[in-house]
Amino acid sequence: MNDLNFSFDFFHLWQVIGGQLILIVAGLILILADIAMLKLDEDVRSRRLGWLTVIIFALTAAHMMSREWGLHNIVFMGIFSADKFSIFVSIVMVLSGLLAALMSIGYLQNNDVMKGEYYILMIYAVAGAIGLVQSVDLLMMFITLEVMSLAIYALAAFLKNNRFSQEGALKYFLLGSFGSAFFLFGVAVIYGVTGTINLTKIAQSIAGGLYTNPAILLAFAMLSVGLFFKMAMVPFHMWTPDVYEGSPSVITGFMATAVKAAAFGVFVKLLFVTFTPMLSQSGQPDFQNTINLAALGAYWKPVLWWLALLTMFFGNLIAVSQQNVKRMLAYSSIAHAGYMAVGIIAANGDGRMGVLFYLFSYTLMNLGAFGVIYLIDGKERNAQTLEDYRGLGYKYPALGFLMGLFLVAMAGLPPTAGFIAKFYVFAAAIKEGYFLLAALGVMTSVIGAYYYLRVIYMMYMKDEVRDVVRGPVAMPTVIALVITAIGVIYLGILPEQLANIANAAQQSLSMIF
Amino acid sequence: MAGINEYVILSCVLFGLGTIGFLTRRNALILFMSVELMLNSINLMLVAFSAARADMGGQVMVLFIFAVAAAEVAVGLAILICLFKHVHSVDINKFNVLKW
Repeated sequence: MNDLNFSFDFFHLWQVIGGQLILIVAGLILILADIAMLKLDEDVRSRRLGWLTVIIFALTAAHMMSREWGLHNIVFMGIFSADKFSIFVSIVMVLSGLLAALMSIGYLQNNDVMKGEYYILMIYAVAGAIGLVQSVDLLMMFITLEVMSLAIYALAAFLKNNRFSQEGALKYFLLGSFGSAFFLFGVAVIYGVTGTINLTKIAQSIAGGLYTNPAILLAFAMLSVGLFFKMAMVPFHMWTPDVYEGSPSVITGFMATAVKAAAFGVFVKLLFVTFTPMLSQSGQPDFQNTINLAALGAYWKPVLWWLALLTMFFGNLIAVSQQNVKRMLAYSSIAHAGYMAVGIIAANGDGRMGVLFYLFSYTLMNLGAFGVIYLIDGKERNAQTLEDYRGLGYKYPALGFLMGLFLVAMAGLPPTAGFIAKFYVFAAAIKEGYFLLAALGVMTSVIGAYYYLRVIYMMYMKDEVRDVVRGPVAMPTVIALVITAIGVIYLGILPEQLANIANAAQQSLSMIF
Repeated sequence: MAGINEYVILSCVLFGLGTIGFLTRRNALILFMSVELMLNSINLMLVAFSAARADMGGQVMVLFIFAVAAAEVAVGLAILICLFKHVHSVDINKFNVLKW
């Protein structure tokens, strides 16, 4: 805290947090653009803002990808780091924002809520999420966590006249701020024990002998609890079904992917930069020989083992009994958090790579599914039952095919991205000897296949074809659905390229020093 | 003169009270207050650590936390008011349209 370097270099700043800067400035410009277009019709204004948002997200992604990929290990004022890992997770979140913005253009028209704030909140949510995974400072982590969460709370409550949306948002807000308080408690205890809130300095203190200190263990438990709320791990998942069901459908898809990616990214960073520093092939930090990494792992692995198992079982079992498709996908998103946690428990390079790959492919398939779901939203209740899907595949062959594809991907069947992602995390767990966990995980995903395939079965029931699709499918939504569908199939057939990038990303974690 | 231990114990007790309040009370406004109590107990702890370590960092963090807490309440109360228009109550047991 005392040794902040206040020399200010704009180029350096741009290199490290250029993505956030683009989003923050663009958010301000969009507020003005919204006012400048006041004379136009509401729907024209909303559509233009939507396209502007898409362009902004595309520019952000371009900035992140254009940065020299070999560049790592640059830290801005001890607060933000631009390592490959953070950039990878950031790109996942920007992609999620981009696809969600594309779908929102049609969604807002359908639901007659054409307000400019929507896109601005979305931009700030992504900016906060990027800050969260880039930060290497616990205070900045808390602040960006709140920036992201506050924007998402407001988005969840966006349907003002819909009681479900408001109720979900309030529940999300209450439990979200409760979780953040735990996170902050962990920050305070770590500050008290080590005297610093910088991740790498904490790592050095822990390696210097503090790792048996119960206060440090308590602090890490508290930090993890705060993040588990965002990751929707059992038993911190209580808000998930209600919030996912009540929120506007596109926002549900957005928060299921972007927030989960941010929380998982920062959790992996905390674990493998600070608490269990990973061994690197090159440039080993000098303290790594002084601690027994296995001893550190013994503290958190058994706990996470049980949490992952409970999460997978609970999510999949309750999802089976759901009649509401949005609620079913909420429970399925809990289950997916469990699968990703399996990759973290493996605690090897493959596991971390698997988690990153999983986040990327989950973003594609989940947002794709919600892109179809929003088209079927009921007027009264911002959600729909399984019955509403009856005959969808006959009435709208393309929509039926896409929904089927996304559901098959989430069930983890080949040849889709979902299969490869599950394969990576379970293979990593088996490599480390977690046979039982992997076997039980695969078993739960078989349960999962049942309720995903039930929707597909419903879509191809011939007897009673319902026409529930509201209005013509907007062009941007078609674009977003095509992108996600191509991505899901491409990653299922040729995963090598992304897997290599993800592997390079996870290796960079050992270089944030 | 109380030492660092007394301050830390006090803030842990306050944090615990906030947690218990959050988990047991049924009034949404009291839940807000409980979360505020938790955040402020953390502020107390940070100031105590800051003083004990003669490091300004902890006190700077407190200012940031004040700002974040204020923003949080602004958003939370806005959502509560929107919901109140539908439910006409702040009792969280009445917020029950979403359940399995």
